Amino acid sequence: MTFHKGQVADRIMGMVLIGLAAFVAVQALRLNVPFSYDPVGPRAFPLGLALLLSMLALVLVVRPGESGEWPHRAMALRLLAVLAILLVYALFFTRLGFVVTTLLAVVALARLFAAAWAKALVTGVTMALGSYFLFTRGLGISLPVGEWLGALL
Amino acid sequence: MFDFLVQGFGVALTPLNLGLAFLGAVLGTLFGALPGIGPINGIAILMPLAYTLGLPAESALILLAGIYTGAEYGGRMSSILLNVPGDAGAVMSTLDGHPLAKKGLAGPALGISAVSSFVGATIAIIGLTLFAPLLAEVAVMFGPAEFFALMVFAFASMAVMMGKDPVKTAIGAVLGVLIGTVGVDSSTGVLRYTFGLAELYDGIDFVVMIIGLFAISEILLMLEHASRKNGEDGVPRLGRVFVTLKEVLSCKGAMGRSGLIGFIIGVLPGTGASVAGAVSYTTEKRLSDKHGTFGQGDMRGLAAPEAANNAAAAGSFVPMLTLGIPGSGTTAVLLGALMLYNIAPGPTMFVDHPEVTGGLIASLYIGNLMLLALNLPLAGVFARVLTIPRWVLVPGIAILSFVGVYQLHSDLTAIYLMLIIGVFGYLLRKLGFSLAPVILGYVLGGLMEQNLRRALSISGGEIEVLWRSGISLGLWIAAAALLIVPWLLPKLFKARLGRA
Repeated sequence: MTFHKGQVADRIMGMVLIGLAAFVAVQALRLNVPFSYDPVGPRAFPLGLALLLSMLALVLVVRPGESGEWPHRAMALRLLAVLAILLVYALFFTRLGFVVTTLLAVVALARLFAAAWAKALVTGVTMALGSYFLFTRGLGISLPVGEWLGALL
Repeated sequence: MFDFLVQGFGVALTPLNLGLAFLGAVLGTLFGALPGIGPINGIAILMPLAYTLGLPAESALILLAGIYTGAEYGGRMSSILLNVPGDAGAVMSTLDGHPLAKKGLAGPALGISAVSSFVGATIAIIGLTLFAPLLAEVAVMFGPAEFFALMVFAFASMAVMMGKDPVKTAIGAVLGVLIGTVGVDSSTGVLRYTFGLAELYDGIDFVVMIIGLFAISEILLMLEHASRKNGEDGVPRLGRVFVTLKEVLSCKGAMGRSGLIGFIIGVLPGTGASVAGAVSYTTEKRLSDKHGTFGQGDMRGLAAPEAANNAAAAGSFVPMLTLGIPGSGTTAVLLGALMLYNIAPGPTMFVDHPEVTGGLIASLYIGNLMLLALNLPLAGVFARVLTIPRWVLVPGIAILSFVGVYQLHSDLTAIYLMLIIGVFGYLLRKLGFSLAPVILGYVLGGLMEQNLRRALSISGGEIEVLWRSGISLGLWIAAAALLIVPWLLPKLFKARLGRA
């Protein structure tokens, strides 16, 4: 029996899903249900879903299909870099405020998507300031000014 | 019988709603034109903003529906000019659209596709006007048991029709339903799958879910596709940007037939524009490709999928407005948007909220005219969207996603959750799952459980209530047939061949 890469991925996914189904079922059984007039209760539906999911996942393990091409190492690193930028953006969103974090995030993302430094910086400044005024003045959304900056001033 | 439409035009023709329909048409065409961003992503990104503006439900829906229908128009741009489909519905438009552009007929190709989009959408909107009230009358007779059976039917139809792999479609739907069970159980107050996190008590927010699933995962995919062609190196010359009457008339059969096919496919729950485009193209090829010109740049081969995908978009409003069952992933998102306004999707919506349903249908007529008026002469302007580089597009999506989620509760947890869901969505897409079933499951799952439990409460736990009425029994049989027939047919054929 020969394996294609995609099939391996599907098999792993199938096993992960079986694990998930078991977890869902165990959690459902553990629910502490007070007396109610509802004859079904909150357990039955998740239990049914867990059963259905495990059966479908079993099909995936036994008869895996083809899935897409997985990124190579260099690409995987760049994907992680994008995620890291988004995570840092979130971490400092309220602390450094919308304008500063957005400026940094836009420049970093633009650089990752192969923009030259000058272009990335111009895009960052325009987008950070432009969107701040659009959202706060135009749409009346309140955005974080920045706790740390507020403390400095 | 058409009171709702008269009332609807009253709603749709107010200056605010006309303006929103126009805005939706413009934004939708732009979103559709951008490679990778289709109607679902566009609506996901803009929905929180529409909600923040404090628009009434019908106005928000008119804006979002305008984006939906506009995106089906715009999807053709990159299909024709770059051979890269702008969204799933426009995949088939590349087959004859791009060869036309290579022949120097990009302008006429854009023109004919705008006209066929208009014809397809018009056929389907008329169909919607005629069928929706009839279906709504039947739907009012639905009780919880019938509603539960209807959802089973919807999921069965989705598993069979949507995507290449029924098992993966079904898994996606189950995952969506499971995500929907997170939070407090409304009838007993029991907390499910919250892991002690107070932020999860109300369940996973709809906006967080769709932005994570569609916008964040798209950012990751765009990075992988960064080497793929987009318009940064310039788009082909359009040539003349009008179509002749002769060209339009040569496609009239293709447009009419595909419009009907698209409408019917759109009405079926769970199937949308991409299926409609594929079915209409193959049908048209079989019927009218006498000289083997399809695939070489035949206008009819472009007109067929364009008419069909627009018709499917309008057709998918039929089950959404009358039964509360989305006909496509995008209408699932629209239905979720209505839930934010405390409008319970379901059979009574047509009767209880005529200003929403009628206003929406009327605005589809208006929006369709606007789209034709925008897309015929301005094709060249919209085509320039393709030249927006990814390094501008991606940060833009990121900002809109962050602001959209942050303004919900001014809370960072929602943003972290959005990122986690984004990674989950990316992995699913890489594994060959389509995201539409996930969102359909998420939207329908809660309603499905509620109706099941309500039905069984009324009957005192007797399970037969679920198939006692004629309607529900019919739906169960239809669902079973949908699942069994495609599996059985090839075996029957084989058996017969073996005997012969």
